[in-house]
Amino acid sequence: MVFSPLPIASAELSAETPEFLTHSFLAWFTNSILVTAIVLGVIMWIVRSCTRKIEVIPGAGQNFLEAVVEGFYGAVEGILGDKMTRKSFGLLGTLFIFILISNWFGLLPGVGSIGWHEGDKFIPLLRPGTADMNMTIAMATVSMVLWFYWTMQVTGPVAFIKELFGVKGGMSGPILFLLVPLFLFVGVLEVVSILVRPVSLSLRLYGNIFAGENMLATMINIGQIFHFPNWLSSVLSCIVPIPFYFLELLIGFLQAMVFTLLILVYLQLSTAHEEH
Amino acid sequence: MEILKQFGVDWPHFIAQLILFLIVYFVLNRFAFAPLLKVLEERRKRIEEGQLNAEKIKKQLAEAELRYQEILRKANDDAQVMIEELRKTNEAFSQREMEKAVKESAAIVERARHEITSERNRMVDEVRREMVSLVVKTTAQVAGKVLSPEDQKRLSEEASKELAS
Repeated sequence: MVFSPLPIASAELSAETPEFLTHSFLAWFTNSILVTAIVLGVIMWIVRSCTRKIEVIPGAGQNFLEAVVEGFYGAVEGILGDKMTRKSFGLLGTLFIFILISNWFGLLPGVGSIGWHEGDKFIPLLRPGTADMNMTIAMATVSMVLWFYWTMQVTGPVAFIKELFGVKGGMSGPILFLLVPLFLFVGVLEVVSILVRPVSLSLRLYGNIFAGENMLATMINIGQIFHFPNWLSSVLSCIVPIPFYFLELLIGFLQAMVFTLLILVYLQLSTAHEEH
Repeated sequence: MEILKQFGVDWPHFIAQLILFLIVYFVLNRFAFAPLLKVLEERRKRIEEGQLNAEKIKKQLAEAELRYQEILRKANDDAQVMIEELRKTNEAFSQREMEKAVKESAAIVERARHEITSERNRMVDEVRREMVSLVVKTTAQVAGKVLSPEDQKRLSEEASKELAS
């Protein structure tokens, strides 16, 4: 195991499976799955320690978690209304908490920079789950499947199709027949945009986190890239990444927010008529 | 699909991540959100009940205060009436007692006067008897002889007459 002297995974876009696992039944086990499992463990530990004994008068841990949940629930309820919030809060809360912890986990020292070489390739031991597109696609898929299920449940298929392809604006008479082909075309565009949503959601998150990781690795190795003397490279590797760490903290939070808010907005757009 | 492969997306990894995400979803939903939202709802209800109770108690307190004032006012009035009655009774009683005391004192004075008179009479009688006896004894000594009982009786009667006059 070595400390990476190069920007991590700069040549590879995928999460890495160690060579000794590639041909075993553990071929699915990658460094990002390991990190996802660790994040799952951390979440379970936090949840367990904060809600071990739930009381009406809360302790410090329960109070903290309650503040997070209550604040987030209030925000979601303000947009989605009571009925849809009850259905979807679990997913939205999970998305936000999981993406946030995963993103920030990637900023811990050693994540992405400690690993081993397999030939010319450097394989990091740990790599954030959200920097693996399998994870972001999985989250987008679950979100969109549930979005479709809840939309069907709340509006019904007829209203859904009507909303997509129907003529809006309360038109009637001959103009209605003129507008039908136009709105059919708009409906097709709408369907395409819905189908593209999982891709756009997953690419946005993956791209931001993966780029952030590479940027930090580049900043850490900036001295070596410009062939500075070793002592200067070491000093620069400590100083240069500091502002970028703060930037990544912000980006990690914003990306968690963006992913969650987009699902929230999709739900609001497709169910708002029924709620009111 | 080729582009997805370039990004390292394949079924085994996708399914593994999907399962992990679903586990996170289940854990958070089952062990964090559901119980916390339940307790928040419970607390909201309790606060609502508390506020209602506080309102009720405030109302009851105001009513109790009014009732208390009413009772106090009534008690004051009753006490005033009782004091007045007592004062009147006391005055009547004092008057009666005074009259009785005057009567009693008059009787005592009368009785004392009567006793004084009878005592005075008794003393006068006694002095008179002493005087008679003295006269008889003095006469016997002056006469130088022993007086017979008849003489003594006669002298006594005469002396008594003299003293009485």
